[in-house]
Amino acid sequence: MLEIVKPGLETSIQDFPGRVGYWNQGFPPSGPMDMWSFRLANLVVGNDEGAPGLEAQFMGPTIKFQRDSVIAMTGANMRPILDGQPIPMWESVAVGAGQTLLMGPAVAGARGYLAVAGGIDAPEWLGSASTFHKAGVGGLDGHAVRAGQVLPVKEAAGTPGRRVADRARPTFPGGKTWEIQAVRGPNDDWIDDAGHERFIETAWMLEARSDRTGYRLTGPDWTFTEKATNKAPEHGDFPSNIIDQGYPLGAVNLGGQTPIILMNDGPSMGGFICPYTVPSAGFWKLGQMKPNEYIKFREVSVGEAQKLRLALDETCTHDSIE
Amino acid sequence: MIYDEPRVLPGGDTFVLVQFGDDARIDLNFMALGLTAALREDRTKGVIDTNPSYNSVVVEYDPDLIGADDLAQELRRLIEGLGSVEDLELESRLAYLPVMYRDPWTKACVEDYAQRIAPRDGDPEFVARINGLEDAAQLARVHSGTEHWVVAVCSTPGLPLMVALDPRCAITSPKYNPPRTWTTLGAIGVGGLSTSIYTTPGPGGYNLIGRTPVPLWDTQARLPAYRDRVVLLDAADRVKFVPVELEEFEYIERRVADGTYAFNITGYQRFSVRAYKDWVASLDPSERF
Repeated sequence: MLEIVKPGLETSIQDFPGRVGYWNQGFPPSGPMDMWSFRLANLVVGNDEGAPGLEAQFMGPTIKFQRDSVIAMTGANMRPILDGQPIPMWESVAVGAGQTLLMGPAVAGARGYLAVAGGIDAPEWLGSASTFHKAGVGGLDGHAVRAGQVLPVKEAAGTPGRRVADRARPTFPGGKTWEIQAVRGPNDDWIDDAGHERFIETAWMLEARSDRTGYRLTGPDWTFTEKATNKAPEHGDFPSNIIDQGYPLGAVNLGGQTPIILMNDGPSMGGFICPYTVPSAGFWKLGQMKPNEYIKFREVSVGEAQKLRLALDETCTHDSIE
Repeated sequence: MIYDEPRVLPGGDTFVLVQFGDDARIDLNFMALGLTAALREDRTKGVIDTNPSYNSVVVEYDPDLIGADDLAQELRRLIEGLGSVEDLELESRLAYLPVMYRDPWTKACVEDYAQRIAPRDGDPEFVARINGLEDAAQLARVHSGTEHWVVAVCSTPGLPLMVALDPRCAITSPKYNPPRTWTTLGAIGVGGLSTSIYTTPGPGGYNLIGRTPVPLWDTQARLPAYRDRVVLLDAADRVKFVPVELEEFEYIERRVADGTYAFNITGYQRFSVRAYKDWVASLDPSERF
């Protein structure tokens, strides 16, 4: 049992891969934004990679353990402290009943993950325990955790003293710029050559108004092909308007002139073009970016993106735990 | 335009967008929903989810189970198997939804917008005027005089995008600019050629012409209609709006609140595109109700 002393900033229960398969009813996948770190946190405490755990954003929670347990923290470094003593990240650590874990502000990365042996015992809804607060579903009560709440944990022994191999951990960039993959499409033919060049050359700044729904980027204006400027009126007034279409997860969605990357809790459909899509292997980076940092996009093919996905899957296995 | 060959466009490493054409003619939606049904029936290996809209379907897939080229090939095979659009027969339920046209709540929402954001007259009167209708009462007659085709269900849970099936009842209207910051829950909105129902009280751009007292989604399975589903409507369902006055509206609200409201949904019909088109061809489109 985890007693939430302080909730941190929108700390929520998530599982992997989330609520997959319900786009057509308007439910997004949700799930952890940095799935790489999340899966490894589970594996190192001895859980299945997908077991429900906590995602903390920017500012971690304070948690009191009501019974002996084994935990691990991965992702953003929130300098975890157990009863006054710093404890390592990326390792499974035994905690005793009555001990208090303090996770602070993220000093590197943005989202920290806490896995507990057995996993948080949250009910599955549409096949997932992931919190989607806009619809009030998932987690314990459909929302971020609150002070005073007690999160039940499934019984499991867990093994302390194991660690995620150094080679298997994601590395955050030294500076403020993240290189993130992007695949052309589905609506790339609405952007002219100069627009495509600008997309790749620009360091796009992440706006503060970004969350699990979408990441808003600041950069130069877009330029369009005839497809965008000379079209049937039912598409809408702006060059980036298109007759409502479904959106891929990770789409770089062009609302007017502002690109918004559609994230785990994002909309399933709308009336704006998506000239690029961030592939699944690029998502963890988005999850670990902070506002006012920059993205440089690197164009990859669908095939390359699928290879990266496979490589990530191969990293998130027991072979990476030592 | 309807493409001779549907386009299969990449959306990252796990999605493709299948486009049947580039405008909003309803044939394109029939094809999109035909493909959606075919994928469901075929249980195509590796296909995780489908998300149809006006002229396209987003397909989510697992590249561990099916490669991008194989998926495109499977999609083309299924599309070929659909035959011509007239051959399509789609599972389609008919839901009767109560609506109070010109209700006090959406009126207050529009007034709040007019006061805070941009000047604006009443939405039902505006929509009636630009569609050459006598008044808002005729708008209600026209809007409730047709079955509305559910083109897509999207974004906020259970939100249906619908178009009028009876061309004599088609209305068009521009969307708000700038958009509203909040919308009455259950508001009936019209924008472009479409009708929608606001299933959450969020922002929006459609003109508000009425309100329904019934929820279109329910995660708690409180109402009997939601025992085996989360959202009321699927794409390819049809909606007929049933005008009610305030007293009836409040009665239904109470039945919803105490968990006894029974939705009126007809479930035995299939929608034949050929029969529909034959019927449309027999109509005098200048008629209005």
